[in-house]
Amino acid sequence: MTTPTTAAAIEIRGLIKDFTVGLRGVKLRAVDGLSLRIPEGQVFGLLGPNGSGKSTTIKIILGLLEPTLGECRVFGVPSHQVDSRLNVGYLPEAPYFYRYLSGTELVRFYARICGVPSERREARVREVIEWVGLAAAASRRVGTYSKGMLQRIGLAQALVHDPRLIILDEPTAGVDPVGSAEISELILRLKAQGKTVLITSHLLAQIEDICDHVAILDHGRLILEGRVAELVGQKNRQALIVDTLPPAELEALRAWLAERGHALSVEQPRARLDQLFLSKVSRPGNAGGKEGGA
Amino acid sequence: MNAPTRTGVPFSFGRLLVVAQNTFLEAVRQKLFALLLLLAIGLGASAQLFREFNFGSSELKFIADFGFGAMIFFGSTLTIAATAQLFFSEIENRTALTILAKPIWRTEFIFGKFLGVFAVVGVFCALTTLLLAGLLFARESALMEAHPEAFEHGRIIHYADVFVAGGLQWLKFGVLAAFTLLVASYSNTNLFTVIMGFFVLVVCHLQYLARDAYAQVASVPLRLLVRLLGYVFPNFQVFNVADQVGMGAGLNHLMALRIGGYGLAYIAIIGVLAVYSFRNREI
Repeated sequence: MTTPTTAAAIEIRGLIKDFTVGLRGVKLRAVDGLSLRIPEGQVFGLLGPNGSGKSTTIKIILGLLEPTLGECRVFGVPSHQVDSRLNVGYLPEAPYFYRYLSGTELVRFYARICGVPSERREARVREVIEWVGLAAAASRRVGTYSKGMLQRIGLAQALVHDPRLIILDEPTAGVDPVGSAEISELILRLKAQGKTVLITSHLLAQIEDICDHVAILDHGRLILEGRVAELVGQKNRQALIVDTLPPAELEALRAWLAERGHALSVEQPRARLDQLFLSKVSRPGNAGGKEGGA
Repeated sequence: MNAPTRTGVPFSFGRLLVVAQNTFLEAVRQKLFALLLLLAIGLGASAQLFREFNFGSSELKFIADFGFGAMIFFGSTLTIAATAQLFFSEIENRTALTILAKPIWRTEFIFGKFLGVFAVVGVFCALTTLLLAGLLFARESALMEAHPEAFEHGRIIHYADVFVAGGLQWLKFGVLAAFTLLVASYSNTNLFTVIMGFFVLVVCHLQYLARDAYAQVASVPLRLLVRLLGYVFPNFQVFNVADQVGMGAGLNHLMALRIGGYGLAYIAIIGVLAVYSFRNREI
């Protein structure tokens, strides 16, 4: 909705967030000196166990919480300012929406809140609903939606004003593998459109598949950050996948490699269970709906 | 860090109305609204059953008192319950998260919630006032036929005054809704908000008694304290002009305007306080 700038999508410096607990006012530190820079166009995974400060960090980015100390900027604008949310779409964890509205009415409601101009509003609402694959259920009341459909209508409301940054808090929590795969596909399509996506999830395989960068939090502290390929790749090691060799040939190969100072480890390659599952079960429809920008 | 591109998000009455519209829709789809409306209508209509209680102007006054009594009782309950429920449903269901994560001012959100509740209570007041006016008109017409000597100067009831009295009740409920929203803006539970809402209702209704009693107190600081409390809590008795409906010359409309201004001023001040309180609330 605004002209792109050279500022990072999210820039956090020395962020500290304390909560006061109980009558005695005991301080609980949820985020402890976090610094993070997320450039535009990346899919960034924010990982960590429960209580590690992920959701608190997201709420500070969205201006829903004030940091105790430190600074958080979204496209260069301090996150406590309303302006900072002009280019942000947000899907909360386990979203709950107004049950009495239909899918179309719900997305229209958020489009009006975001100030989508009235002459473009209806087309835009239809477009994002089709994009998340809910066109057939658009006139149904949200109260009748399954969890996967709720996540997708949640994604539609997050995208309705065409934001540059989309924040997804546990977008696949409670969703079956089919729905989860569809959401992954949608995220990859957002990435292809140049959107920045910040995602938290406990499904590490999913994060590994879709994220460029990850940061791992523990007890509010950043303990690891980097490109996924660099973090999980084993340097100085390679995997060669060949058809099953007879024992004699395998031993010969091992000896040949040993002569040159290389060790050989032999494993049976395994298909991933989620991929096996998705190849066996029927999928209700194309998640993305029609091609085109969200 | 790079310099940001500033576009600015001005306060938008349109966004405020979107929140208000949604709040109104949510409220009218709740059973509580329909139940209280039906009860108020039922109670108001039942005043007809007391026909043998009296005749002439006293009977009409009884019907008016009974109808306004039902409106005040059920309207107060509706105002407090609806305000607390509609606010906390946003917090507890976390729909507030998705709304406030959009480019919207918290001022727009709070005043939108208020306006939605105020509209719901307005519909309630309009329907109950219409019913009451209809009942009074029907009974007065019947009495005029039966006892023409009692109506030699024409109708007793000033029907415009019935609607003015209904409008003033609506404003009073608006003040009560603003107070309840102020409590909700910092409270953590629906129950606490509802209890405090009723507490405020009682205090505002009895405020004049405390003023009268403490006016006799010689202690200056105590008297000043009472006067201060008198400003903090509005006097709800001033909105109860139903006694004057159909009596003598009827309502003094200048006085009604002043009461309206009194109510609007309280709504504005308490609304601003609610916004201030909600501005720093951690969602």
